[in-house]
Amino acid sequence: DDIKLKYTLADSLYQNGSYKKALKLYEQIVPLYRGRPQAERVMYAYSDIYYQLGDYYLAGYQFDRFVKSYPQSSKNEEAAFKSAESYYQLSPSYYLDQEDTNKAMEKLQEYINKYPESERQDKANAMVKELQTKLEKKEFEIAKGYNTIGASRNTFPNAMKSFDNFISAYPGSAYREDAMFWKFDSAYQYALGSRQDLMAERLAKAKEAYEVLEKYYPSGKYAKEVTKMIEDINVRLQTEETIN
Amino acid sequence: QRDLPLDPEVKYEIGNITVTGTSTYNENTVITFTGLRVGERIYLPGEKISNVIKNLWKLELFSDINLYVTDIRGDVVDLQLDIQEVPELNEIKFKGIKEKKGTTFIKDNGLNKGAKVTENLVTTTKNYIENTYKKKGFFNAKTLINVIPKEDTVSKNKVNMVVNIDRGSRVKVDQIIFEGSEKIKSKRLRRAMKNTKRKNPFRFYKRSKYIESDYEDDKKSIIDTYKENGYRDARIVSDTIIKNDDDGITLKLNVEEGKKYYIGDIDFIGNTVFSDAQLLRQLVLKKGDVYNGVLLKERIQKEGDPDADDLANLYQNNGYLFSNINAVETGVDNDTINFEIRISEGKLAYFNRVEVKGNDKTKDKVIYRELLTRPGQQYSKQAVVSTIRQLGQLGFFDPQQLTPEFKNFDQIGGTVDLEYNVVEQGASQIELQGGFGGGGFVGTLGLSFNNFSIQNIFKKEAYKPLPMGDGQRFSLRAQASQFFQTYSISLTDPWFGGKKPVQLSVSLSHTIQFQFNNLATSARDRVNRDSRNIITGGSIGLAKRLNWPDARFTLSHAISYQNFNLKNFNTGLFTFGNGSSVNLGYTIGLSRNNTANNPIFPVSGSQWSLTAKLTPPYSLFNNVDYEALAADREVAVENQDSDALAEIDQERFNFLEFYKIKFDGKWYTSLPGKFVLQSNVEFGWLGAYNNDRGIPPFERFFLGGDGLGGFALDGREIIRLRGYPNQSVTPLDRGAATTANNNDGATIYNKFSLELRYPVTFSQAATIYTLAFIEGGATYDNFRDYNPFQLNRSAGAGIRIFMPAFGLLGLDFGYGFDPIPGLIQPNGWETHFIIGQQF
Repeated sequence: DDIKLKYTLADSLYQNGSYKKALKLYEQIVPLYRGRPQAERVMYAYSDIYYQLGDYYLAGYQFDRFVKSYPQSSKNEEAAFKSAESYYQLSPSYYLDQEDTNKAMEKLQEYINKYPESERQDKANAMVKELQTKLEKKEFEIAKGYNTIGASRNTFPNAMKSFDNFISAYPGSAYREDAMFWKFDSAYQYALGSRQDLMAERLAKAKEAYEVLEKYYPSGKYAKEVTKMIEDINVRLQTEETIN
Repeated sequence: QRDLPLDPEVKYEIGNITVTGTSTYNENTVITFTGLRVGERIYLPGEKISNVIKNLWKLELFSDINLYVTDIRGDVVDLQLDIQEVPELNEIKFKGIKEKKGTTFIKDNGLNKGAKVTENLVTTTKNYIENTYKKKGFFNAKTLINVIPKEDTVSKNKVNMVVNIDRGSRVKVDQIIFEGSEKIKSKRLRRAMKNTKRKNPFRFYKRSKYIESDYEDDKKSIIDTYKENGYRDARIVSDTIIKNDDDGITLKLNVEEGKKYYIGDIDFIGNTVFSDAQLLRQLVLKKGDVYNGVLLKERIQKEGDPDADDLANLYQNNGYLFSNINAVETGVDNDTINFEIRISEGKLAYFNRVEVKGNDKTKDKVIYRELLTRPGQQYSKQAVVSTIRQLGQLGFFDPQQLTPEFKNFDQIGGTVDLEYNVVEQGASQIELQGGFGGGGFVGTLGLSFNNFSIQNIFKKEAYKPLPMGDGQRFSLRAQASQFFQTYSISLTDPWFGGKKPVQLSVSLSHTIQFQFNNLATSARDRVNRDSRNIITGGSIGLAKRLNWPDARFTLSHAISYQNFNLKNFNTGLFTFGNGSSVNLGYTIGLSRNNTANNPIFPVSGSQWSLTAKLTPPYSLFNNVDYEALAADREVAVENQDSDALAEIDQERFNFLEFYKIKFDGKWYTSLPGKFVLQSNVEFGWLGAYNNDRGIPPFERFFLGGDGLGGFALDGREIIRLRGYPNQSVTPLDRGAATTANNNDGATIYNKFSLELRYPVTFSQAATIYTLAFIEGGATYDNFRDYNPFQLNRSAGAGIRIFMPAFGLLGLDFGYGFDPIPGLIQPNGWETHFIIGQQF
């Protein structure tokens, strides 16, 4: 009858990729199929349409419901992945609030733990890594922000502290070398901008930061700048010594 | 019924249950209510039965419930439940008050048709009504409620209510008598009673009434008054109300004052960071002072005031997050009380991680650069409070929901994490308005985006719906009427380049203005489209907060350009109807603002600015003989040859050449009793590099009136001087020595004013203050005439209302003591409406 007809049409639209039209029909039939044996198929298609249309907010939610409602479904694993991926898609740029990123990481990790044999493990792991890197980038950029406004707002010490926090919080980060370099840079600029009587002490601090950088990344990507900066520090420290 | 012998030891079986009495429910329903079943075994009397009756009462459906045993056959009993159902309300009538008043009582007490009329309902209604009147001062209000069964055979068990109210007359307090008050005068105690006042025909703002709850509060105020004056044992022994007549009472209070106490020794214990002397200075209270418990508490820690100048904040603002201060009485020595102020300083705290959460639109860097609390910095409560204010002022977040959250207190390491929770709010405004002004309909469409991102305007994915988050301000505005159209666009970036708080502003505007004839009869004839003035302009400016001499200085630079293109536009200040004029200038300004707290109502500090606008000195290098031109002009004026005059003036003003210097200073002084005095000095001077070329008719000063700018595009400065009509205070020498007419602005002005302000309210919805002023100002055509003592003086009073949604509204009445230049009579009273102007 009428429902069946609608369903057949909706399903064929869905199969052919006419998601927008299919969605309109699905919105009508979803409540009618609730509790029926076909509901599993209907709900999957309904969730998938949101996913295909890029409405990840609803796709994540609907797939999540699907996973919970049909634990025995053959599509369960795929739905769980698509749900987690939808949350991943919602993760905003690093410079905004990362609540959604944290949620996506949680969902992806749940997926990884639940389906250790899945062929989508690699994809999921890659997404987790990407999000982790995003969180690290956020932290790193905030710290670097204190370096950027350092000269006008006197925030070089805050940058140093933030980079220290960063380095100890993320030992394996892709930004570790950058953090060490910018910490050195912040310490160096801080010293250059200070009063004469404080400069030697602060230059020594900068040199310590330099030594840490050299230890981990002896000829790293900042080698050129680093050489120039450390030479300048050494010259200044020497003149300071000869004066005293 | 018969007295039946019941054995409390026997568990009886219920044989039969009958229901009697009045009931609209059927028998079975009532039996279900009881929860008793035929065949069930129960003790009689027993717990089960008493619970049944209790539960039936709880339903509040019955006014009388009786359970009888009607028969005993061995261990089988028959029960009879006799119930009286609570009547339903059919109709309610009020007597002695207005019908409308009655409906509010019906609403407040649920006296609707069908309500169950219980004893309880009747009593609460009676009390409610009486209390309502007592709260309004009708101390003798009486209510009598009659419940009358409805005489109707069909619908049983319905009642009508008649509520008789005699509110009596409003009771006034004839006398308040204190007994036993010797140390503090009765007059002062009566003043402490804020709500209960004696009869006084002159106190029109607060009528005398007696309200019990207010009177109780006032008794507490009396005790507080004693406590603030050292009488810490004071109490009210008894108080009586004496009825004088129907509408008058006398209150008699018997107080026991006790001894007056003084502060004795104050010992500080546990302080290492601050010396005893420093702490004593901060405490303000000292040995020998009258003991004031309330004040003492406030000086140690004032609740609810994060800016308080108290002991706790002395520690909190110097990094001692973990500090704790307690005052303990160590002994009473006759009439002096000795104290120990016990301080646990704790470790100096530093911020470790500082995070912002909730920014769904605004980029991290836009927020983090405004933080005054940063990782590694010493903890300071003041810095947290200031940061919250700073973030609120950005306008991107809801100021009510900005909250700092301290996390991970580490007393041993001396660190604390701080998280600022922000909630984005709409930072864009659309202005769409139509109105009548300037002689016709004026329509305005304005869009302003306060958190714009110009970097992202070419990124498609940033449009949701607009590129946002970089903290820039972008606005578009179009305004049109019958006789003018103006379009403008502007962009402001407060952190141009991202490294320094240097504000860049860029703006462009374009205006077409047609000549306008107000006297024409038809709307079409009023506009002369052959006569028009096209003005195109733009400006670019940089403003920088300085670190030296202090952080409150701002230095600004701006370059502005305006091109006037005239066709048959012989109106107002334009002596040449066809031609063009270029106004290219450089403005440099230095300003300082250290006014305290509320920007709408500063209570201290000062605010001043000094600006200079300079045009290039064209006459130095353009090889025009302006001396000869000036001579030609005199001839043209003498011959009244307007064509020649237009030609000469076009040559003089093709490129405007002038310099303009302005100073505006305001000082705010706190006076006793919340009064604030604003002193204001203003000065402006427009000059020419080449006296033969002369000062252009643009950029001039117009003094007088409300100071609101009208529709004028010649860079004129409109300066407020109350007590005189708008722009009426022209130079005194006009008409005699110069050719300038009254439409021309002046080249020099000064103004002095003193304004005494008094705040009425600082509520969320509105800031209101009243003011009284004296001021004086004058304009001059040149320095020869300059005389700062010959002013047009005025005095008056007014009110200002600031509402966040509407901006500032004001009304001033000013009396001008001096005549408008050219007249003889003093100007007299003027009324000024002020909208959205400076504070």
